[in-house]
Amino acid sequence: MLRARKLVPVIVAIAMLGAACGDDAPETTPQTTSSATVPSEVPSTEPTQTTETVETADVPQRIVSLSPSATEMLFAIGAGDQVLAVDAFSYFPPEAPVTELSGFQPNVEAIVGYDPDLVVLSDDIDDVVSGLQAAGITTMLMNAPVDIPGTYAQIEQLGEATGHTAEATDLVEQMQTTIDRLIASIPERETPLTYYHELDDQLYSVTSKTFIGEIYALAGLTNVADAADPDGAAGGYPQLSAEYLVDADPDLIFLADTVCCAQSAASLAARPGFDQLSAVKAGNVIELDDDIASRWGPRIVDFLETVVAATNAASAADTGTS
Amino acid sequence: MTARVPNEPVAPGRTAAVDVAWAGAAVQRGGRRVVDGVDLSVSGGSWVSLLGPNGAGKTTLVRTLAGSGLDAGSVSIGGRSLGDLSARERARLIAVVPQHPVIPPGIAVFDYVLLGRAPHQGLRFAASEEDRRRTHAVAQRLDLDELSTRTLESLSGGERQRVVLARALAQDTPVLVLDEPTTFLDVGHQLAVLELIAELRAERSLTVITTMHDLSVAGQFADTVAVMSAGRLIAHGRPAQVLTPELIETCWGVAATTTVDGHGGVTVAVQRRREVPLWPGRARVTEPPESSTPTTLEPTR
Amino acid sequence: MGAVAVDEQGLRVALPRGTRLETGWLVGGIAAALGAVVLGLWLGPVSIPPGRVMLELLDRLPVIDIDSGLSVSDRAIVWDLRAPRVVLGLLVGGLLAGSGAAYQGVFRNPLADPYLLGIAAGAGLGATLAIVSGVGDGIGVVDPVPLAAFVGALVAVAAAGMLGTRRGRSGTASTLILAGVAVASFLTAVQTYVQQRHAESLRQVYSWLLGRLSTSGWGEVGLLAPYAVACVVVLTLSVGALDVLAVGDDEAASLGMRPRRVRLVVLGAASLGAAAAVAVSGLIGFVGLIVPHVVRRLTGVSHRQVIPLSFLFGGAFLVLTDIAARTVQAPAELPIGVITAFIGAPFFLLILRRGSEA
Repeated sequence: MLRARKLVPVIVAIAMLGAACGDDAPETTPQTTSSATVPSEVPSTEPTQTTETVETADVPQRIVSLSPSATEMLFAIGAGDQVLAVDAFSYFPPEAPVTELSGFQPNVEAIVGYDPDLVVLSDDIDDVVSGLQAAGITTMLMNAPVDIPGTYAQIEQLGEATGHTAEATDLVEQMQTTIDRLIASIPERETPLTYYHELDDQLYSVTSKTFIGEIYALAGLTNVADAADPDGAAGGYPQLSAEYLVDADPDLIFLADTVCCAQSAASLAARPGFDQLSAVKAGNVIELDDDIASRWGPRIVDFLETVVAATNAASAADTGTS
Repeated sequence: MTARVPNEPVAPGRTAAVDVAWAGAAVQRGGRRVVDGVDLSVSGGSWVSLLGPNGAGKTTLVRTLAGSGLDAGSVSIGGRSLGDLSARERARLIAVVPQHPVIPPGIAVFDYVLLGRAPHQGLRFAASEEDRRRTHAVAQRLDLDELSTRTLESLSGGERQRVVLARALAQDTPVLVLDEPTTFLDVGHQLAVLELIAELRAERSLTVITTMHDLSVAGQFADTVAVMSAGRLIAHGRPAQVLTPELIETCWGVAATTTVDGHGGVTVAVQRRREVPLWPGRARVTEPPESSTPTTLEPTR
Repeated sequence: MGAVAVDEQGLRVALPRGTRLETGWLVGGIAAALGAVVLGLWLGPVSIPPGRVMLELLDRLPVIDIDSGLSVSDRAIVWDLRAPRVVLGLLVGGLLAGSGAAYQGVFRNPLADPYLLGIAAGAGLGATLAIVSGVGDGIGVVDPVPLAAFVGALVAVAAAGMLGTRRGRSGTASTLILAGVAVASFLTAVQTYVQQRHAESLRQVYSWLLGRLSTSGWGEVGLLAPYAVACVVVLTLSVGALDVLAVGDDEAASLGMRPRRVRLVVLGAASLGAAAAVAVSGLIGFVGLIVPHVVRRLTGVSHRQVIPLSFLFGGAFLVLTDIAARTVQAPAELPIGVITAFIGAPFFLLILRRGSEA
């Protein structure tokens, strides 16, 4: 990491040297559109610097995405054909051109090697953004959204940046409609059901202040982990005490560690003391795909659908017995 | 050679005299023979001092008694080859006082002396009463009673030397090896330690083997002196026979005069070899300047 | 105890005892360990009346049948979660501190700790490999991560041992330390490389490296217990040899010991215990370094006291820090390694200051 960081200026210097020597470069390269960064916090209603100058003819055709969420968005709005390369973890959708590029340890030289006209990133690690800008490449830095409107805004930003504004608007509307329909399907309850969302087998969880917690809140669920990080000091990702969890006895348990940590409803039930949990006894342990529960793209709708289905089933069983 | 191997001491603190003999002993270090075919026998109950210039191989030779291996030849003790003995058996026959003992930080005098009982102990969690009794007796004998709870670091050089000697005596061995026992002591303490060793030897019939630099000290305390040079033994015999000006000249390259006292002890006085000229115009001061008083100096203001 | 000797004037004087395990300290150590265990069973994020906790534990004894009046989930908390965690804390803390004391004794180096010869790096690599390769995923019963960590730790120590000791005269303590440092650096490099190549497992790897007692059950206690017994027995029998080794290899040899063999046996037992502890709990730092020092400050340098008391006080210390780990920010957990350093470092400095003033 340290070494890579030190190398960046060198690489940039070499890249600039190359640009300076290329006197006979064609004058068609417009300098005005390069080196613009779109901050993710900008609401979708505000036009951004990049999109203003992008004209139909200048729509990027060689996009590199180092953010799995952005990759999903790009393909969902029909910009997949313009995507040249994606990072090693962008394995959804399956047709995405996965490469060895890393979003965790971005290598400016490797990215520049693809000769992209737009690079989408979720994090500016090791000053990669300024490195790419120095190489004259347009970047869009889109931090992980903090809420669902943030996801909508990013989809629309990508739509405008790639010439798929209409598709992006359609996608957002479609997502909103589905979410509304799902929420409407949830029956009213006097006491809300409780849930526990597991990030790994060391009982790391999320609070309602996180993006994922917000989705559970849409389904009318109460989070047992909220007590563990009331002031957000743990960033919304506290580690729970096992005995607290057994005592809290959540109605629903969602496992988002089925891939990373090979957990399952069976392995959960086998943990010491966990066989006493109501969710285990009632079969309300839902095995999620780790990725769906950590990528804030179009598939959040699928995730909500899973949550709502589980909630409705648990709710029906609960009222049936009581 | 007929002395029996004293697995059991004859009486507490007193052992049967045991011979020590090297035969064709050789030790290689870094391709060099630092001990080169030494034949030396020390009869039971006698005191031999190994002499020789730096690098002659004295320390290496005595270390072969403490488990450091031989590359050729043998060393026997009480007629048994040292190579046939286990480390524990060896430590019941030979006690070593090293030239630079490692002083464990924070250890109390009594605990340190008690370490000498190690070859007599098994895998025991605490020291037995017998071990403590022997240790206490040795500590008493060497006047360490008052010091028994002090840490070794807090002792003076002379006291510390007595403590290390006490540890070796607590081993209850018939052979005592001392590597330069007087190096860091002033003249008074040197004599005190050597006189103590002489007394203990008489009390316990110890066979004493020491390495030494001080020829006069060796010449007065040892029964025999053995002179080594370049790994070889060049002389062994009574001090008066061995420590002659000729041998000292050959071996150390210095002119010396020797005096033999009435008991056969030898004192050696070494002369400076040559005058080193000072820079031109400056002669050596042979007489004090008239103005200065040879009594006391005024403190500078 | 009451042995007497006769002094020069023929008076009977008490025979000096020499340093041995003082009864007072032994009782104190056992009391500390037991007290910590009792507190550990009483305190937790879920408050359960102490009396009922005790009744519940009595109920678990054979023959005795008492109704503790606890709910089913509280009973599970006491017996399936708290009790094994407390016992594991006692074992892990004791093993780390005891083997730390042994390492410091063998190497005659106050900076030595059980991780000196690469146990941490080896266990880290083993665990990382098991995590990223997904070995045993779906087997469920046997968790491959502790097993891989255990094997990794032992391989690392064995490698350091073989590289650092040669037949002949060069097998000194310092070459062993240097070999350990080299092996540890190399394995850490490999571990970091593997970890970076599998960023998807980063979280799990980090979580393992941080150390934990948090999700332990009786299974882990069962895994650790045999190695704990072996380690405690061998090290307790080696206290005399360790005291002799304090005078260095040459002098120890002249006192009838075989220093290299003692080192092998003691380091073998200490490493086995530490590796087993690390395998079930991850890398909990500080305990193995500091507890032996504190014990030494309090009782003196003899291993007759330092080794057994390090076992007892190390166990008590880790049980107490684990109580803090699960109650300070309840119901959230704090990483136990953070607490061992946070409580241990100032306490250690206090002891150091008091020691230097005395």
